[in-house]
Amino acid sequence: MESAAIEARALRKTYVTTRGVLRRTRVERIALRGVDLAIRRGELFGLLGPNGAGKTTMVKIFTTLLLPSSGSAAILGLDAVKDPWAIRKRIGFVFGGERGLYWRLSGLDNLRYFADLYRIPPQISRRRIAELLDRLGLAGRERDKVEHYSRGMKQRLHLARGLLNDPEVLFLDEPTIGLDPVGARELRLIVRELADTGTTIFLTTHYMFEADAICDRIAVIKNGSIVAEGTPSSIKGVVENQGVVEFEVVGMPADRLVGLRGLPGVSSVVVSEHDLAQVVTVQCARPADVMTQLGMVLGGLTLSKVSSREPTLEDAYVQLIGESL
Amino acid sequence: MSTLIRAAFSAFRVSMRLRVVSPYAYLNWLVFPLLFTTVGLYVLSRPGAPVSHLAYGVLGGGLIGYWTVAYLDGGNGIQDERWNGTLEQIFAVPTPLVVILFGKVTGSLLFGILSFIPTVALAYFGFHALLPHVDALRFAISLGVLSFSFFAIALTLTPLFALWRWAFQMLNGFELGVYVLCGFMFPVAIIAPWAQGIADTLAPTWAIRAIYAATTTEGAHDYFTWWLAAIALSLGYLVGAYFLYRLVEKHARMSGDLALA
Amino acid sequence: MNRVAAEAAVFARSTYLQYVALFQWATVRGYVAYKILLPVTQILFFVELGVYAAGRQNALYFALGNALQLTANAGIFGVIATVANERQFGTLPILLGSPANRLVTFLSRAIVNVIDGIATVVVGLLVTVVLFGLDLHHGNLPLLGLCVIVMSLTTAGLGLMFGSIGLVTRDAIIIANIVYYVLLIVCGINFPVSRLPGAVQLISYSLPLTRGVQAAREAAEGASLQQVAGLLGGEVLVGLVWAFGGYLLFRVLESYARRGGLQEAY
Repeated sequence: MESAAIEARALRKTYVTTRGVLRRTRVERIALRGVDLAIRRGELFGLLGPNGAGKTTMVKIFTTLLLPSSGSAAILGLDAVKDPWAIRKRIGFVFGGERGLYWRLSGLDNLRYFADLYRIPPQISRRRIAELLDRLGLAGRERDKVEHYSRGMKQRLHLARGLLNDPEVLFLDEPTIGLDPVGARELRLIVRELADTGTTIFLTTHYMFEADAICDRIAVIKNGSIVAEGTPSSIKGVVENQGVVEFEVVGMPADRLVGLRGLPGVSSVVVSEHDLAQVVTVQCARPADVMTQLGMVLGGLTLSKVSSREPTLEDAYVQLIGESL
Repeated sequence: MSTLIRAAFSAFRVSMRLRVVSPYAYLNWLVFPLLFTTVGLYVLSRPGAPVSHLAYGVLGGGLIGYWTVAYLDGGNGIQDERWNGTLEQIFAVPTPLVVILFGKVTGSLLFGILSFIPTVALAYFGFHALLPHVDALRFAISLGVLSFSFFAIALTLTPLFALWRWAFQMLNGFELGVYVLCGFMFPVAIIAPWAQGIADTLAPTWAIRAIYAATTTEGAHDYFTWWLAAIALSLGYLVGAYFLYRLVEKHARMSGDLALA
Repeated sequence: MNRVAAEAAVFARSTYLQYVALFQWATVRGYVAYKILLPVTQILFFVELGVYAAGRQNALYFALGNALQLTANAGIFGVIATVANERQFGTLPILLGSPANRLVTFLSRAIVNVIDGIATVVVGLLVTVVLFGLDLHHGNLPLLGLCVIVMSLTTAGLGLMFGSIGLVTRDAIIIANIVYYVLLIVCGINFPVSRLPGAVQLISYSLPLTRGVQAAREAAEGASLQQVAGLLGGEVLVGLVWAFGGYLLFRVLESYARRGGLQEAY
């Protein structure tokens, strides 16, 4: 049987730091609390979670940059702890943001440099770099210094670098962070195409629609533990038989919120600030009932933009993470 | 094997290209050596000072520049990679870090040795200071031995800087102390005996002793002893470096400390 | 009155905060490296160089000269690094966009470096006393102290000039390094100014430190205030000219940077 592309068993990571000058105290921070995951070859897998949930830690362990405290991680059947060199040749990774490139060099020089560091023979790397520049829409600008690139171009250059060694598994850590909507969509299209040509992709993001749009399978991570795993539609099943009522209000008192939460069928109420008003999102079993009772619970307050809709992946996510966005 | 050589060469080329466009590099190989040469020659050529002392003024600034580029660029290089966010990436490639640093350090040495051009020119044109009795062959060999010792030190210090950022700060603060201990601009023989003991554990001290001996007919000329001491100490550093790289590899993967956290 | 007190409070707070926020030496290790190791090794290096050239009996000349030059360490690096670091952290545009009085901002910047410069010189003089037997029994200590304070102020004035340049270039710290070492050559630290070519001597006497170091050397040998008043007065005058020029340049370059948006270049 062919091994999984990525496999984690009871993966734990604890960071230990020391604080203070005279009296040094050890501070432990648990980033991963026993994660089990298996990702098949050719899958586009999305890891969703808020900042600090452990997404980047997991990616770093898989890319051999970080050792787990306990448990095991295997990439293409190779142990990420004992076999980093074999793994490094066969994977690629891209971390989001603008850093990680030599700004004073051209895009082409960046790629040539990393091609050599990936120990790709020159006759292959030359062809490969030309292909990637073309495919990622950088052809024609490859001799410009990276500092003159737009953010989207830098991110595509990152991706080109990550693809230099024609990786079997590609890790993308929040690749669309800071990109404008058009740039982000272009990048998502490219990622989807890559997955369709057989590359296994492990993507972390905190954009729900991104995961919903392109991932075959999703896991949601919270405080270092996986709290849900499945296809986007099965994750939405968490909030199945539920609807969402949304409205805007100015100056929502806390006691009214309690009243709202007490209504029959209401599973969560999330308030988010929006300019001067608050947007209240109520997840509930029977939206129509809740809408008729709103006036009773919130009498005296002026509600606007009251609506009811089908649950989205974001609603499921909010339910799972259990925090206001 | 050929891909490893290519990787090292690529690291060398990139480090040179980054250096050519960095103003700090010029500060280290051009400006500082010239300033030190000026002070050195003024002080050493003061009325009544022996003419034999002038060699230290002619070569001292160049040696300082060579050393500064060799070690400082290595340290700054790692710091720059950290700021750039590329340290993590060069760490995660299938080329061992030591191979990449081999290329980078070689680049530093080649750039650093350029320091002798402006400083010797300044000595000649500005102060009419010459080295009339140079033993060219032994001078060249000594310079080669010195280069090897700088190479060994830079290769050892770089992982040290990657691991402990404050180590770089400390050595930076101690910069001129190194000039004293290595005898860049005056013989180690004049400093306090206990400090000479420390100086003797530094490979460049021996190589520089040989370099200055090759510029004069006076004094002792135990070239073989000095070269041997410099090479043996350098090899010792390299053994230490081997363990440091193992430690970097392990420590970095334990703490994830390669990013700018 | 209240307004003055409030201004003073702002001044004190911003002075303290910018020191902690902006200087890499505002940590224990950083302080040891840049404020103790660096000055002490500078003195050691040039003293040994001097001893090699001129014999052990002349060590004091070099030790005192380099200890006094340390005033420039804080004056030049402190002021220039402030602007350079603000740029590096991306806080320069915020500062320039704030309604704070530029003169107050600038003074708070200078004053902290003056205090710091004095501390560094005390460290340097202590080293000179301990390692090289600087004998201050016959020296005019209050006058020596005054000289140190004056030079800390005048070098900070020079620092303002070059700190302003930091508004429009990201490489001000390089300029700081060059200025610092040029002072080492032209100000009579390691050899008398009279040995320099005539044209260079002109530069020497238009820079701070040259007269101050001379006055301080005489004070260390017991000269009275009257004897060095001319030198010290000249030093103050030179410092004022540089500080004023620095302030003017700051205003000019500030508006230039605003028009060109250059301060965000990094």
